[in-house]
Amino acid sequence: MHESLWRQHILPFVLLLGLLVAATLLGDYLLHRMNLVWIGRYLGIPGTLLIVGSLIYSARKRRLIASGNPRTLLSFHELGAWLGSVLVLIHAGIHFNAILPWLATAAMMVNVISGLVGKILLDRSRRHILGQRERFQLRGLSRKEVEQAVFWDAVTYDAMTRWRQVHIPIFVVFALLSLAHVLAIFLFWEWR
Amino acid sequence: MSRVLRLLLVANLLGLGALVFMFPNLMVGPGRLIPGHQQLETDCFACHQPWQGSSAARCAACHLPEQIGRVTTAGAPIVRAKGGVPFHQELVEQNCIACHSDHAGVRRFRSQGRFDHTLLQAATRDKCQTCHQAPKDSLHQKIDGNCTSCHQQSRWVPASFDHDRQFVLDRDHNTRCVTCHLRNDYSRYTCYGCHEHSQAKIRSEHIEEGIRDFANCVECHRSGDKHDIRDGREAGRAENGHSEGRRGEHRQKEKRHGRERHDD
Repeated sequence: MHESLWRQHILPFVLLLGLLVAATLLGDYLLHRMNLVWIGRYLGIPGTLLIVGSLIYSARKRRLIASGNPRTLLSFHELGAWLGSVLVLIHAGIHFNAILPWLATAAMMVNVISGLVGKILLDRSRRHILGQRERFQLRGLSRKEVEQAVFWDAVTYDAMTRWRQVHIPIFVVFALLSLAHVLAIFLFWEWR
Repeated sequence: MSRVLRLLLVANLLGLGALVFMFPNLMVGPGRLIPGHQQLETDCFACHQPWQGSSAARCAACHLPEQIGRVTTAGAPIVRAKGGVPFHQELVEQNCIACHSDHAGVRRFRSQGRFDHTLLQAATRDKCQTCHQAPKDSLHQKIDGNCTSCHQQSRWVPASFDHDRQFVLDRDHNTRCVTCHLRNDYSRYTCYGCHEHSQAKIRSEHIEEGIRDFANCVECHRSGDKHDIRDGREAGRAENGHSEGRRGEHRQKEKRHGRERHDD
């Protein structure tokens, strides 16, 4: 009995995403419990800096910079973006005030999900489907039967491929909305 | 990124940009304004100076410090049902946002309108009766000013009145105030409020020692230890005719009693 793509790959992805939500809820709970809610107001700054810092990988990938080990930078990109997202989510907290920063938060979450899809699922899923195909062919199944056997896995993979295409445009939206939020803060903040 | 997607993206962002300028209160404002300022919801710069925040000068343009607490911004006199007095005129510094926030999202993080006496000018700070009325009880009615000798400015209770300076409340005297201060009249006391000290017994013990003026117990006895006879109020002693000779006599008698006890 072959393991489905869902159980083998998507479930870990959901768990990793769940960890992000759990870390956010725990951080928010602790700040409220310890009466340190004010700290949450400022967690957006380190969160944003971590996310911006993690973009070194994107610059390296697109050859905007020449130095740096891509594998190391990718790890930093994944960790920095994940941790930065947790901090930004705690910063967003459960207080619904202005719409613009919430749109930025939503864009960030879509970005995180699409990033996780790229990180965890795509490569492993591609290898999973290829392995399944080979296994079915070795059992002597015809080409048509093999295609039928991996049909739903192939559909899932295709959906994920499209999902990943969202990563860059959504990142642009996220970046612009965040920039607008930061500008609004600078414009209206009580500096003295 | 496809051309269509790119156009869609730009159109959406432009739409959002337009919404920010049309509805700044909803798009970037940190929560609703207080009811009194709701007419300013969409006019951020009525209070905020770009890149600097909201200055006290902008608040004072409508809320003249000399009128705060006296008349409204519309000029109507403010009538206070629960007392209270205008004090903004006496503040050390006119820093409005140190105590007040207008947006609901900001108010969550700050204590609102929390008064602190240290915000008052020094000359006003020590004149408690400018703002406060003395309590109606008999003790406070006899005191004029100097509140800080017993009370703190941060809290009225607990008062720092040191009872031990008058009489030590040891374990035998750990009782309710009314036992000694009848009807909570702290200007008077009686030692005959409990079963231990009857007037007849005290009288007999003192007469036996040759002491006839024993009405003001704490003048000599500052604690429950009857052998602890202290040199008390010099002025009070002169007034009450409680002579040193008599006190010395009292003390000598006590010493003699002590010696007799030791001899036993």
